[in-house]
Amino acid sequence: MKHSFLDQYSDRDSPLHRLDPRSKLVATLAFIIAVVLTPVDSWPAYGMYLVLLAVLIVLSRVPPLYILRRSLVIVPFVLLVAVLIPFFKGGEVAGSYNIGMWNISVSQSGLQIFWNILARAWLSIISLSILAATTRFASLLEGLERLRFPRVLVMLLSFMYRYIFILTDEVMRMKQARDSRSFGGKWRWQIKTVGNMVGTLFLRSYERGERVYAAMVARGFDGHSRTLERLRFGRRDALFAAGLSLALVAINLFNLLY
Amino acid sequence: MHIPDGFLNAATMATTYVISTGGVANAVRVANKKLGDKHIPMMGILAAFIFAAQMLNFPVAGGTSGHIIGAALAAILLGPWAAVLIMSVVLIAQSLIFQDGGLLALGANIFNMGIIASFGAYLLYRLLGSLLGDSRRARLTAGFVAAWGSVFLAAIACALELAISGTSPLAVVLPAMAGVYAFIGIGEGLVTTAVLSLVLATRADLLSLQRI
Repeated sequence: MKHSFLDQYSDRDSPLHRLDPRSKLVATLAFIIAVVLTPVDSWPAYGMYLVLLAVLIVLSRVPPLYILRRSLVIVPFVLLVAVLIPFFKGGEVAGSYNIGMWNISVSQSGLQIFWNILARAWLSIISLSILAATTRFASLLEGLERLRFPRVLVMLLSFMYRYIFILTDEVMRMKQARDSRSFGGKWRWQIKTVGNMVGTLFLRSYERGERVYAAMVARGFDGHSRTLERLRFGRRDALFAAGLSLALVAINLFNLLY
Repeated sequence: MHIPDGFLNAATMATTYVISTGGVANAVRVANKKLGDKHIPMMGILAAFIFAAQMLNFPVAGGTSGHIIGAALAAILLGPWAAVLIMSVVLIAQSLIFQDGGLLALGANIFNMGIIASFGAYLLYRLLGSLLGDSRRARLTAGFVAAWGSVFLAAIACALELAISGTSPLAVVLPAMAGVYAFIGIGEGLVTTAVLSLVLATRADLLSLQRI
């Protein structure tokens, strides 16, 4: 089966796709750190970050709507914080509502916290979405390994990535089997069914793990992975990382001075 | 419960990163000692299992649906350190592939849903196991409480981190998160119990394996 929900668009071609994953990883991390550490209420700086991201999206040739849709994952968390805002006490009152017997007032400081969190979270998530949409997961892992990310974790991640597709196929077959035999049913029964599906999936995964290990040992596995060196960190990659860092520094300098 | 970037302050992010890095490093060491080089394919495939199991939704009240986190299941079946390792790998991949949980907030997410949830579940399971005995009913009850507790404790850790970061006032975010996840935890508990009962019926030998 096809699973387009995993790193969609990452197999396309664009200047951003062709960059070394290390360059993109470092740039993304630098961007998120800069965004999170930007002082509260630096709205011009937030605006310039957004312009920077817009330029990157255009360069990446990934549909902007796709990135926007992807960035909506933060909505549940934003809502959680938004619901709690009226409970920030103190500070100037920005507005109050009478709902039934409750008088709910929203203070300036509560609103200020909310807008800043929203802006930072959104900018960060867009940059992560761009990274995921322009880099295949396999080359992302290769980049991580070359950046001295613990080797064991990289191997675990690549095993996981290899088997996600197979196990997702299993899940989809199970779902299809369930859905073709039932439509709804009692809540308790549905929970029981999901439990049986997860349990079956666990047993199959566990037994598959043992088989895979046996097959690996039979082929000489000794706990290390050996790969052909394929990544090349060229001048363009250095230029990209340096250029982006420079832009971040410039934005923050501008923000400090004005 | 995946915290995005921007919700935590620098001190909270740094602290949770340090704790989680130490926890994951120790998990790797323990897995390596107990399983040898077998732990690499095994833990990798079981991480893919947790990932796939999280795609199985079950109905929750009001037309919404939920899925399990899986830390309790992993901790009960395989042991707490194995669960920490598996959950960390799942959370790293979720952050990088789906932007589910931020990059700088990864330390906090691994701390909540990896370390706290796994050890909370494992300790509750062992504690109840020693109180209730070894019968099938006792194991399933312990499994339910452990799974519920893992979600509840992770939510409390998450609420504390948000409060310390100044994102929400503690007096509100703590009861709000605790209340919501005390309810969501019931789903985790019921599914985990159903899985345990299936494993007990078909491969009971897996439940008496050495845990790591």
